Amino acid sequence: MAQFIIRRIMYSVVTLFILSGTIFLIVRLTGDPVALMAEASARPEDLERVRHLWGLDRSWPVQYVTFMQNALQGELGKSFNYRLPVSELYFQRLPNSLTLGLAATLISLLIGIPAGIISAVKVNTAWDNVAKGVALLGLSIPGFWLGLVLILVFSVWLRWLPTSGSGDWRHVVMPALALGWYFAASMLRLTRSSMLEVLGSEYIKLARLKGLPDFVVIAMHAFKNALIPVFTLAGVNMVVMVNAAVIIEVIFAWPGIGRLLYEGIFQRDFPLVQGVVIMAGFMIVGINLVVDILYAFIDPRIRLSR
Amino acid sequence: MKCPRFEAQSVFRLLAVVLILIAGASTVLMFSSRAGAAAKGKLTLAWHAGFASRWLDPQEHDGTATPDNFFTAIHDALIKNQGTQLFDHPALAERFTIAPDSKSATFTLRKGTKFHNGDPVTPQDVKFSYENYRGSKADVFKKKTERVEIVDDRTVRFVFKEPFLDFAILFGTANVAGPAWVVPEKYYKQVGPDAFKQKPVGAGPYKLVRHEPGVKVEMEAFDGYYRPVNVKQLVMISVPEAATRVAMLERGEADIIYNVPGELINKVGKLPGVTLAPVLSGSFFVEFPGFQDPKNPFHDKRVREAVSLAVDRRGMNQAETAGMGKPTGNWINDDVQYAIEWPEFPRNVEKAKQLLREAGYPNGFDVDWVTPLPAFYSRGERLISQLREVGIRGRLQTMERGIFFQRLQGGLKEFPGTQIILHGVRIAGSWSFWYEGYFKCGGFSSRDRICVKDLDGKFDQYERSINPAERKKLAEEIQRAILENYYLVPVFRHAFVNAIGPRVVLQKWQDVFPTITTGYAYPWEEIKVKD
Repeated sequence: MAQFIIRRIMYSVVTLFILSGTIFLIVRLTGDPVALMAEASARPEDLERVRHLWGLDRSWPVQYVTFMQNALQGELGKSFNYRLPVSELYFQRLPNSLTLGLAATLISLLIGIPAGIISAVKVNTAWDNVAKGVALLGLSIPGFWLGLVLILVFSVWLRWLPTSGSGDWRHVVMPALALGWYFAASMLRLTRSSMLEVLGSEYIKLARLKGLPDFVVIAMHAFKNALIPVFTLAGVNMVVMVNAAVIIEVIFAWPGIGRLLYEGIFQRDFPLVQGVVIMAGFMIVGINLVVDILYAFIDPRIRLSR
Repeated sequence: MKCPRFEAQSVFRLLAVVLILIAGASTVLMFSSRAGAAAKGKLTLAWHAGFASRWLDPQEHDGTATPDNFFTAIHDALIKNQGTQLFDHPALAERFTIAPDSKSATFTLRKGTKFHNGDPVTPQDVKFSYENYRGSKADVFKKKTERVEIVDDRTVRFVFKEPFLDFAILFGTANVAGPAWVVPEKYYKQVGPDAFKQKPVGAGPYKLVRHEPGVKVEMEAFDGYYRPVNVKQLVMISVPEAATRVAMLERGEADIIYNVPGELINKVGKLPGVTLAPVLSGSFFVEFPGFQDPKNPFHDKRVREAVSLAVDRRGMNQAETAGMGKPTGNWINDDVQYAIEWPEFPRNVEKAKQLLREAGYPNGFDVDWVTPLPAFYSRGERLISQLREVGIRGRLQTMERGIFFQRLQGGLKEFPGTQIILHGVRIAGSWSFWYEGYFKCGGFSSRDRICVKDLDGKFDQYERSINPAERKKLAEEIQRAILENYYLVPVFRHAFVNAIGPRVVLQKWQDVFPTITTGYAYPWEEIKVKD
């Protein structure tokens, strides 16, 4: 088991190392951030001064080594535009993103799981068709469109909710709904397929033969086993929602990490983009590591086969 | 009974006492009614972009137009652009003089001005702000300045190594450079530049209450400001999505929104109580990279003129800004020093075709790429379709904004063959900044794409001259030559369309956007909201 854990940790470290190099290169391939300031009356001297201030006058290898040295000490560099450490900016925005991510996850679970179960239990009926329709809509309606429609209906016409920003619970409702809607669809599909697989298994047939009521068979025997992949997906989804809800956060002017990433990309704030991506990668890799270890702990075949 | 006898001296004494009392009462009233004491209400401004914290520090002014929104709220300058004054509105300085030989400039500070932390604004702060300035055009100021002298407790003098004729215009135009903006030396040194950007202290009409980097800046009227401040709370919120900003305006969550895009202008214009503020902004004009090469079709003046005749300026303005922009005759905005007035160029497709025939292109010719300023791609498409009418066939090239500017700086090698660039530019201050950036051979943006030696020679003469009359004459000559030869073809002035909600007091939109050198709503202290 210890060997398995060490191996998985090493894989994770290598993954993060590759990620750091990739994102370092990709942001630099987008061009010179100082060029974005080169409007109107800027002078070459002004731009050189900014390049020097931002450390962009050094070679890429030197920049990368500095970045990695700082990252290993837990420091992700200083944002060009905010002149604040990226980690500070990240953790300033994290509570907002966690709030939104949790609310959206809750919505996706509340919609996706019951609908998925109904769809699986009532397979090939009108219920199933409605659920499949909901899933199709959820996956195909763009988040920005849904967000704008929600603003129009609930803010402008009904005047029930504020249009944007953060504050009390009313500010969370629309962005969480717009964000959770998409993930509810994927949750629904996964719950449905997982339930169908479980419902077709021998032990469920045995439970039915024993004369257990349908509710007990579904709730006590099938549902519990079908939930494992659903919750695994929910965990990964939540990390994505926390770190990359770019469009929804922009539409609702939600001050989260997704918007921070958007601002970083838009303004070519290299340290900011690198930092947010590394943090998101760290979370995803970390969650996968924990899940792998838990799986291996529960099921010895996994640790023996890998 | 004896009537009291009033002697003239006693009467004057009594009058003097009364006058002093009246003056005292007026002063008390004036002070009690000025600044924060009389300020009331809240003004919320929804922005179209994210906030960069560096915009809160004038010491690192990046030379773009956006930071002046924050400077004019939190900070104050000795002189600045305000209303119709291009650069010389007296602010922290109650007056200033430029020496006849332009080798020094002397500023006298207002009495009793203070920073938000209560420290007085002193000539030492002015000296520090100037000498420590490291933003846009810092090298120009440093190169030309010999020393900064503190003459007395209210007077400061900048002494130059050579005549510095553009000093006042560079110094006082907020959207060009920032050394005129005074920061408190003691506080700045105490907290350092990065912390200053998070919690700036200035001498402006609003003091910072809360700053969420990139998201929101909350400010409150400063009691100690020398002008009345009408609104108590000023909140600037970054809302990148235009439709969300419009919804905020509609719901009354925002009082002013910046940048209403073309597709929403009609909707916003019909909202009850909402006023559109179409501020004239950047100038759009056509450039022919490398036209000086005899093999380039645009080398022939007739071809360049044909392009001008093919451009439907009014149609472009109508389609792109709902007619709120302005078809122009000059490629340089008329709100800068020495810009000349020029009549709108006509559209005449037949004459354009005839000129092309005369130039040896009876069937027109192909242009490799037409590249508009990102993200004004639809303007590029319209230009292509208008040019096609006369036989000039082009393809649209779209680029990410940063790449576009990077390629401009790369010069002609980035625009090989036959190309057209549709620029959109706004530069405040002087016409010479436009020439220097977008026309001069080796200029920052023009690089080697444009090289007209005789005009560059005249421009050098302009730069060397210390005679204002001669400079004006040269400036006009150069501009005329560019327009008469169609070296650049002006199209129209873009309208930066903003919207003002019903809570803001106004007769006309210019009451809220009175400063002609910017697209933004300052001076903030003058804006009023209804109870």
